[in-house]
Amino acid sequence: MAEEENGAAGGGEFYLRYYVGHKGKFGHEFLEFEFRPDGKLRYANNSNYKNDTMIRKEVFLTPSVLKECRRIVSDSEIMKEDDNNWPEPDRVGRQELEIVMGNEHISFTTSKIGSLMDVQTSKDPEGLRIFYYLVQDLKCFVFSLISLHFKIKPI
Amino acid sequence: MSNAADVDALDFEPDDDDLMDEEAAVDVDASSPGAAATIPKLKSAITGGSAAAAAAPKKTKGRGFREETDTGRGNRMSGRFDSLDSDGGPGPERSIEGWIILVTGVHEEAQEDDLQNAFGEFGEIKNLHLNLDRRTGFVKGYALIEYESFEEAEKAIASMDGGELLTQTVNVDWAFSRGPFRRKNNRRRSPHGHRSRSPRRRF
Repeated sequence: MAEEENGAAGGGEFYLRYYVGHKGKFGHEFLEFEFRPDGKLRYANNSNYKNDTMIRKEVFLTPSVLKECRRIVSDSEIMKEDDNNWPEPDRVGRQELEIVMGNEHISFTTSKIGSLMDVQTSKDPEGLRIFYYLVQDLKCFVFSLISLHFKIKPI
Repeated sequence: MSNAADVDALDFEPDDDDLMDEEAAVDVDASSPGAAATIPKLKSAITGGSAAAAAAPKKTKGRGFREETDTGRGNRMSGRFDSLDSDGGPGPERSIEGWIILVTGVHEEAQEDDLQNAFGEFGEIKNLHLNLDRRTGFVKGYALIEYESFEEAEKAIASMDGGELLTQTVNVDWAFSRGPFRRKNNRRRSPHGHRSRSPRRRF
């Protein structure tokens, strides 16, 4: 691979955490996952609707999986964005995306994004679109990993 | 310090990095939204002692560094997480019904059949996830494949890693590991310090 040290394939530090949730009549409902620098993937899903269960799973990933996660992040160019002009978290919900990659550390927060319409009408559609798709791609990756390893339906 | 308009396009300047200081972070919270834009550098309120908060000064960006610490993150991510029984040693970890491998470098126009043809010869594929890029609708670039036996998965890795699939070089490796691939809380001593300590089979 031709990427630099801190690029997609680089050996620099990598950490990623995503949270989405809200507090409502079913309590604090949220989904959160994190990729830790030592390879541990943690996944938590708390939904109080219908059944009162908290799913918490963790598993160690190989460096190859972490590297692919890093590539997805790097290709998205999310590290170039800024959440300054994104909708602020509100009563409806909150999203957090925190990434450490090489020498950069982002910690973005915004409201829940219902659809691309919300993205388009925001003050920073380009940046928010990148966030919107990256989050979906990351969720998709994590759900596959968790469901294959534990044979549960993550959501 | 740059003004609010600059913050959009520019990374924060490196000499802001010495604000990685607990007290400063607590004092200057998000009490005034207007002030926030002029205070680009604060220690993460969210990470609070997590793995990410360690290590050397970094260029930081985002509202997450300026918000109060009431997100309850400590409660959410502490406590017991379920995992499959594992001795924590090196090497691949078995998943609940089989062995999972990761294929990367998968061509964006690959079809499930292409993966079936290439990887089916090592054993019956019990599960195949060929996820799509949500924006483009093309293949994202990786596939996760489940075999029932260790030997099948091992053979697929040995045979296909570095091989070619639809004109692209693919890398194939185990997806899950029995333990961490570097020591917890390992500070970066050198940028190359941890690169070769992983238990991975090949690369």
